[in-house]
Amino acid sequence: MGIERLERMGWKNKIFDFLNAVFLLLLMLTMIVPFINVIALAFSSGMASMQPDIILFPKDFSTEGFTTVWKSLNLWRPFMNSVIVTVTGTFFHVLLTSLAGFVLIQPHLPGKKIIISFILLTMMIPQDAIMIPLYLVNKDLHLINTLSSLVLSGMVSGFSILLMRNYFLGVPYEMSESAQIDGAGMFRIFATMYIRVAKSGLATITLFEFVSRWNMLTAPVLFINDSSKITLQVALKSMITEASATSSNFLVTTNVRMAGILISIIPLIAIYPFVQKYFMKGLMLGANKE
Amino acid sequence: MRTIKKNAMFYIMMVPIVVYFVIFAYYPLVKGLQTSFQDYKLMGDRPYIGFDNYDLVIHDPSFWDALWNTLYIGGGILIVGFIAPLLIALSLNEVMKSWFKKTAQMLLYVPHLLSWVVIGGICIFLLSPDTGLVNMLLMKIFGMNPINFMADESWARSVMIGSAVWKDMGYNCILFLAGIAAINPSLYEAARMDGATRWEQVRYVTLPQLMNTMKVIFLLNTLGIFRIFDQIFVMRNPAIASKVDVLMMYTFQKGIMEIRFGPAAAASFFVVLFTLLLTVMVRKITRFDEV
Amino acid sequence: MNMQKNAVIAMILAGTTLLSACGTNNSGVANNSPAPSAITSGTEASADGGKLEILSGNVGGKTPEGNAEFEKELSKKTGLDVKLDKPASDFDQKVLTALSSGAKYDLIEVSDLAKLDAFIKQGVVTDLSDFVQNSKVLSDPAVIPTGEWDQVKGPDGKIYGVFSKFQGATMPIVRKDWLEKLNLQEPKTLDELYTVLKAFKEGDPDGDGKANTYGLSTSGLYDIQGIMSAAGLKYRYVMQDGKRTIPYATDAAIPMYEWFAKLVKEGIMDPNFITNDTAKMRNLFLTDRVGMVTYWDAWVGMFNNLKKTEDPNTTFQAEGMLSIQAEDGTILMRRGDPDFWIIPANAPHPEAAKKFLEFWNTQEGITLGSLGVQDYDYTLENGTYSLTETGKIANMDHGVPYWYNSTVKSPFPALPGVEDAMALSKQHATLELSLSTWPDAEKIVTNYALKAMSGQMAAKDAVAKMQKELKSANLIDE
Repeated sequence: MGIERLERMGWKNKIFDFLNAVFLLLLMLTMIVPFINVIALAFSSGMASMQPDIILFPKDFSTEGFTTVWKSLNLWRPFMNSVIVTVTGTFFHVLLTSLAGFVLIQPHLPGKKIIISFILLTMMIPQDAIMIPLYLVNKDLHLINTLSSLVLSGMVSGFSILLMRNYFLGVPYEMSESAQIDGAGMFRIFATMYIRVAKSGLATITLFEFVSRWNMLTAPVLFINDSSKITLQVALKSMITEASATSSNFLVTTNVRMAGILISIIPLIAIYPFVQKYFMKGLMLGANKE
Repeated sequence: MRTIKKNAMFYIMMVPIVVYFVIFAYYPLVKGLQTSFQDYKLMGDRPYIGFDNYDLVIHDPSFWDALWNTLYIGGGILIVGFIAPLLIALSLNEVMKSWFKKTAQMLLYVPHLLSWVVIGGICIFLLSPDTGLVNMLLMKIFGMNPINFMADESWARSVMIGSAVWKDMGYNCILFLAGIAAINPSLYEAARMDGATRWEQVRYVTLPQLMNTMKVIFLLNTLGIFRIFDQIFVMRNPAIASKVDVLMMYTFQKGIMEIRFGPAAAASFFVVLFTLLLTVMVRKITRFDEV
Repeated sequence: MNMQKNAVIAMILAGTTLLSACGTNNSGVANNSPAPSAITSGTEASADGGKLEILSGNVGGKTPEGNAEFEKELSKKTGLDVKLDKPASDFDQKVLTALSSGAKYDLIEVSDLAKLDAFIKQGVVTDLSDFVQNSKVLSDPAVIPTGEWDQVKGPDGKIYGVFSKFQGATMPIVRKDWLEKLNLQEPKTLDELYTVLKAFKEGDPDGDGKANTYGLSTSGLYDIQGIMSAAGLKYRYVMQDGKRTIPYATDAAIPMYEWFAKLVKEGIMDPNFITNDTAKMRNLFLTDRVGMVTYWDAWVGMFNNLKKTEDPNTTFQAEGMLSIQAEDGTILMRRGDPDFWIIPANAPHPEAAKKFLEFWNTQEGITLGSLGVQDYDYTLENGTYSLTETGKIANMDHGVPYWYNSTVKSPFPALPGVEDAMALSKQHATLELSLSTWPDAEKIVTNYALKAMSGQMAAKDAVAKMQKELKSANLIDE
């Protein structure tokens, strides 16, 4: 390779790198600008937030949107309900699906294929299509109007089981077998070896589950009648999209809506950095080991 | 017998899973199937009426409209939502500075974290003809007339596809990046030794090596086509309904709005059937089984 | 990948077993739905101390605590053990899932006559004719004017519901202070209306020096009745010589849609009118962005009150006005579907429910439904009522902001502007006719009407398309 060619390539490379960076920056702007817009509006006063203007800085700075949404519209209660449901639900989900994933890597387990098909088939069922029968099940189990119904809804999913299974497949089987010979119990092997090796897989399904539970809408709309037990998304939905004709002494102006949106985002943004490191690794295996 | 005993622990571990699926997936599914063959009134007798509900659904023109909308919007999301993140992943992969790469990844992922209630609300707001940011920019920078994106039929489907792609871009992008990261570095080294340019490395190493990941992602996204619901539910309005009402919306309207649970159940079994068919088809076309 | 292939086969296999499995399942399930005849018997237990389960959309407290208090007070006043479910959202969906899964309620609040129609057809509701006629409270025309009962009668002439409140009408609501500021009269004709709306847009009525106001806003077709009245067009169905017609889909509607298109084109109409929900529309009105909306008469008072509470010196003044008069002198105003209680056919305690229905229309019931709970929402000292802080937030509305019973007077003066507005609606408002085919017809009408109004389609073509599609789907006869 002649030096001249190398230089030309280097030049070209720089142009490419530059254009590439510009492209990505523009793309990131499409993500950032709307959120800056939302943040700026949330911190504006009610009247200012209703005016037509490009608002990237709070106009007529005020936190009244937050106080209205939190205190007057009582968003703290659905918020707490969402926290309870999300944390407990995610915990059980991760525990059960990772156990199942572990079982499904056992090489000589009779009936394994049937179980896998049994699980795969559930992934084909659209949840929205079986709403009424699902309600019936919850009613018969006396779960209507309880947070338990929301914890139970989606407590196990085929997707997570298969993802965890792919994960554990990355652990050499010999490792666990040798441990078994040493007399270590099944759960010990699971808890000490697999879970530790598969940390990033756990982080992946934790994040997925946390997010989808936090955003869950159909189940709480259906199963909860008592307004003290509704979740954040239901409260947000009625605030953002629902036309309610009943009288209320609060003006839900744009700043209030945006404050509600911001409050709902915070926990997600808060957990993301903690799991991000493992998350990337987790997906890497999940996506490749099909 | 010995193997069963040895494996007893494993079976016990599977019991909650199986019980859960039986109660919360299969039983409701069977119930739904049963409903689809009944004249399902709110109360009282619910006689079986054979395939009448299915018959009613196939002879309903709005069912076929909904199917076409589903294929159009779902197909659009599938294709654009596959190509765009792939391009971005390739482009991100060329970035050398890791802080930039990480920040970009994180930012791109943020919309995926949010529910459609929130994203839909933000979209409607951003696209509003007078107070929306998008139209403000169009007007102030390009001097254009505002476009009523959410109310104009000719924009409706594009808006749905665009917002869905935008929301899930970061997620799919990370999947691709994960696939790229797993490619054996020695392949690149060999390519560089042969004097391959950056583009040639992408063309002859990255893309072929990424094939499996691409197939998995494509297949996973295919499963989602017929499930589009939340987005449409939040973002539709009567002016664009005929262009964006998808199959799940049709079942919702039949069931909840018109109180006809039988036809609604029948329609949702078409959804299950289509999903199954499409999945099998995609597997055949992508030769998934040969992976 | 072998596993996956097997999985697909297994899936299909499993699918077929499922199909056959449901055959054996039948007998067990049929028992789930109780035979209607078995329901009414065996629940004649004395209402005192009996149970009462209510599913309500509007009636009850505004907060979970408020609702608990309300439940307690209701139990105390009726002598029943009351359980009141008041879901936070998606009430219709809730009612249907609850009913179809066999959940048992004694009373359900309904505010949609089309739903009542469907319920009657499906045998869900109890016939209340005898009960109403024999009830001392409900048969009294001072409590509920006799003619009103027609609203909740089925096609068979039987009464299936009992009103939970007085439902008003919608009308154009205008910023009176803006009219005065711009030296304009209340518009009576379509041309005058155009002039007023244009002035609202161009005359800077809010005085902030910016052209950021609109003349008119709606939430889709909700509600343009006050303006369509100018051509004598009534919304939904109108029966003409036994034939179903939809006036909004007739040629007479063309100039009206063109009028709206002109408004949109000139920027006088809020361009978001298609995506607006009513809350957004209300907010625009309250934040000086728009000079006229069409909404409930009761909201005239609430608009004024809201602004007064926010700022006692506000100049804001909303006023209800008559719909635009047609050439032949007709004035069309839309009376809302009534808000009423039904007793489902599977109600476990129908007697308790009936006791509640009488109570709800008496002085005590109305006070509870409007002001709320004593010593929680309001206090009573030496005959004077005063609202607590909680009560002020609840806005004297616990499901019954207004009522039929003319013997019961509100202890507080009416909110500003509301009495005039209600006088207008009592004089002119009429119910809409919503046949069971309306949901299908509505889709077609709204779709093309909105296109014509927003200028995406010529009004003539839009109406032609409406007619064609309505006819081919057999939704109109003419």
